[in-house]
Parts: sequence; C-alpha cells; structure tokens
Amino acid sequence: MDIGAYIVNLIQSGMGSLASYLAAHVLLCLVPAFFIAGGLSALVPKEAVTKFLGRKAPKIIAYPTAVLAGSTLAVCSCTIVPLFAGIYMRGAGLGPAITFLFFAPAGNILALSYTGVALGADFAIARIILCIVFGIGIGLIMSAIFSRDDLAHAEADDTTYVGQEGLRLTTLCFLVGMVALLLVGTLKVDLLLDTYAKFTIPLQGFDQFQDFLYRLVPFDASKGEEGVTAQGAILIGFLGLIGVTAWRGLGRVDEGFSGWTYVSLSLIALTLVIAAVRMEPTSTGLDIHLTGKMFGIILVMAALGYMARKCFDSYEIQQWLWETWRFIKLIFPLLVVGVFAVGVIRHFIRPEWIEAVAGQNTILGNLAGVVFGVFMYFPTLVEVPIAKMFLTLGMHPGPLLAYLMADPELSLQSILITASIIGRLKAWTYVAWVALFSATSGMIYGAWTDGASAWTLLAYLGIFLIILIFVLYLVNRRNHSLEEKIATTKEICRND
Amino acid sequence: MDIKILGTGCSKCDQTEKLVREVVAETGADAQIGKVTDIKSIVKYGVMLTPAVVVDGEVKIVGKIPKKEDIKSWLGK
Repeated sequence: MDIGAYIVNLIQSGMGSLASYLAAHVLLCLVPAFFIAGGLSALVPKEAVTKFLGRKAPKIIAYPTAVLAGSTLAVCSCTIVPLFAGIYMRGAGLGPAITFLFFAPAGNILALSYTGVALGADFAIARIILCIVFGIGIGLIMSAIFSRDDLAHAEADDTTYVGQEGLRLTTLCFLVGMVALLLVGTLKVDLLLDTYAKFTIPLQGFDQFQDFLYRLVPFDASKGEEGVTAQGAILIGFLGLIGVTAWRGLGRVDEGFSGWTYVSLSLIALTLVIAAVRMEPTSTGLDIHLTGKMFGIILVMAALGYMARKCFDSYEIQQWLWETWRFIKLIFPLLVVGVFAVGVIRHFIRPEWIEAVAGQNTILGNLAGVVFGVFMYFPTLVEVPIAKMFLTLGMHPGPLLAYLMADPELSLQSILITASIIGRLKAWTYVAWVALFSATSGMIYGAWTDGASAWTLLAYLGIFLIILIFVLYLVNRRNHSLEEKIATTKEICRND
Repeated sequence: MDIKILGTGCSKCDQTEKLVREVVAETGADAQIGKVTDIKSIVKYGVMLTPAVVVDGEVKIVGKIPKKEDIKSWLGK
C-alpha cells in the first residue's frame, strides 16, 4: 500500500473516531455537563461545603463531605490543589484530604456522565461506587498510618476564613434541573426513545449526502464503529457555529450580555433539539421523528430559562456562562485532538497484544491497566475514548476499570504537586494504595461481568475490608505503643 | 494599603488580579498589589480556596471572582 493511501486511511480512522464521539448522544451529555460544571463552579458557595471539612468536624461528617466536595467542587484542577492543601493543613486533616484528592478527578460530573455515555451506565455506576468506597478507605488508611503527624496538626492553631453564604434552594433546583436535562438526553428509556410524531422535509438529496459521508469516512460496524450520518454532519456544522458565536458571546459575557450571547445560547438550544430528534434520509426527503426525548429537552430547557431569568441576578448568570465557556475552552479542544489521535493510534495496536496481557480478569491484567494509567498522561476526559478503544481491541472490563480508576488519579505531575504538600513519603504511600485499590476494583468488577454472583463478590469485598480493618488496627496499635514510648521518654528526660 | 491576590495561576485567579488592578487604577487608590502563588503560603492565610483577596492582612473574599463594587468598597471608595 503506498504511503499516500495509508495516510488517508489513518486520517479517515481519526475522523471516524471523532465523528462517533461528536454524535448526538454524546452532545446531549457533554453540553449539559459543561453547563453543570460551570454552575457548580460559579453558583455554589464553596463555604457551604467546606465548613463541614473544618478541623473540628467529626469523622463521620468529614469523610462523606470530602466525597461530596470531590464531586461538586472539584470540577477544575485549580480548585483541587488549594482545597486539598487547605483540608490537610487547616481543616479536617490528612484522611478527608486524601479522600477528596482521590475522589475529585474521577467522581466529578463531567467524567462520570461522559463515562456513562461512552462506555455504558454500568461502568459509570461501578466507577462511582468503587470510588466512594475506596476513596474513604484510602483516607482512613492514610490517616491511620500517619496518625502521629495528624496529632501535631490537630494541636496547631486554627484560623480559617469562614464565609457567610449558604447554598440557596434556587441554586440547588437549578443544578438539579440541569442534571435532569442531561438525564433526559441520555437515558435509554422507551418513553424517551419512542416517536410521537413524524414529518418529512421535502428536501431531496440527504440520502445521497449520507452515502457520500459513509464513503468519505468508512466504518466497520462489526467493530462497533459508527459512521457519520447526515444528522451527525448537521450537528458538527452547528458545533462549529456555536464555537464561533460562543467565543464572543460567552467568552466576553463578564463584560455584559451582547447579541452574540443570545445567538450562541439559541444555537446551543437548537443543537440540543436537533440532537434529540431522529433523522432518516429517504429517497423522497428527510424524515424527522419527534421523539419523547425532544419534547423532554424542550420542556426542561424552557424551565431552566425561566428559572435563570427569575431567580438569579444578571451577575450570577454572567459568571455561570463565563465559567461554562472556560471549561469548554479548557477541555473540548484537547478532547477533540485526543479522540482523533485515538482513532489513528488504534491502527497500530494489534488486538493480540491487548488480549495477551489484559484479555482476562487476571491479577497481571489488572496491574497492567493500573501501570498504563499511571505512566500515561492524558488530558481530562480523554481517558474515556482510550478506554473505549481498548475495549474494542479486546481488553476485559476488569482491567479496563482498573485503568479508568488509576489514570485520572495518578500522573507524574499530580504526584509531584501532592508530594510538595504532604511530603514524598506520604505521597508515594498514597500512590501505592491507589494502585492496589484500582487493581482490586478492576478484579471485582471483572469478576462481576464474568458472571460471578453478587453474593460471591460481596464476600470477596467483605474479606478485603476485614483484612483492611485488621491492618488499620495493627498500625494503630503500633502507633499508640510508639506514642507511649515517646511520652515516657519525654517524662524521663524532664525528670533528669 | 497592601493587597495580596492568592492564586496558583488558573484563569480565575488571573481574572481577579486583572480586575483588582483595573479598579485600583480607576479609583487612583494608593495600594500595593502582590500575588501569592505558593500553595503553602496561601494556606497560611487560612483560606482553602482560590482565588482569594487579602487587604491589609484581612481576608476579604474566598473562592470566587469579586465584583468591581466589592473591590471599590475594600479600597474605601
């Protein structure tokens, strides 16, 4: 095969990968998710959550709050670092800080919804449950192992800035509304998928357009690839338009609402509606199926628009839109490049290699998933298309989950930053525990998809937790006896 | 008047710094503006979130970008 055709082939592969990722169902997930992230960042007064992470907070409150903070506050990596440092040095201590650090990259709304849409709801649910359990577990372990340092920290002076604001009910309702929009767009329920009405646009040529697209970007349905449909091409066109108008309309919205703002918001709403209907090009025209999804989307968007007008002042809306655009700017370009690259790279990886290492739910396979996650650095959300690629190449769901859990947590850069705050010993201990827990999560999930009964798995989990608690107990006892030795030594020195 | 902007370098912190500098320039207030980017120093001020603004040693706002009117009121204008 000559080099020209080969390169064209690679580009087609990249474009195909990109097209299926910009397909309707992903848009219906990502667009609301970005707005939710913007809302969480701009509208939720963080003090409402962080006041439960203070030094005096009891453990039973601090740990779940750390999980909550990780999912709602940590949508931006610039929030994770100061909050982690703050909780560690001034707040509830090492344990909840570690739980927060662990949960934040994997448990935030963008990561979860994208995982759910691209890999399936069971992956997303497994990810969230295991992240909560192990996040709290790792926090408890770290705080037990290093409890001597924690005591010193608890005795230090406590002066934290306490803000005035609480979480308003309207803000909560607004956020829940946006989550509803996301769910309506992505849930595969009959009520939403059914067609309630149908009309035909008598424009001919769409079916030829679609055939042309299928030839331009060929795809192999048996490998689970999706082609670019006419609807997909229309959506991509709209995305381009949104990019252009939002750059002005949302990027500068802190200077005031402009015509661009209204245009870009209308385009976004229209795009979501187009994504929600089902288009079928026929030889006579373009059939438009009005699905339940479409009606749901229109309804929820109308409610959200009304709420935005009535319940928030314009400063808050400006902040919300500005933050949303900030996330889009930060994440979307890298995501596009990443997905394209995944489409290209897929050609170079033979399924046999993947199956040999991680095709079965073995310890080796899961560890391989973890190692790959640690050493490869990918921008936010790109780990999802990469995971999808591995899945189609034959990786077992177990090692895949291990990779998905380890990748966002651990990158060389984040380890270094963490080490600068809590010290190298603690940081690398944390890395070891994350690796262990990710591999274990992978094994448990892999066993479940292989058909092990829920009871067997609960038994395994139970045994694991018992071993964990035993280790914690032993470590605690060693700490206590060491403290006693230190205390008595101090006594002796004082009496000399 | 000594103003410190606490931030590790994300766009929200840069935006805060830009706004503070603008307001100081507009009102002609006599203020020294500094930026603190080291995480340990930031936490020493008792804040858990960035961006944050400290005026004459007193923490005025944490975790979000201040409005121009807020900044003006801190400057006493």
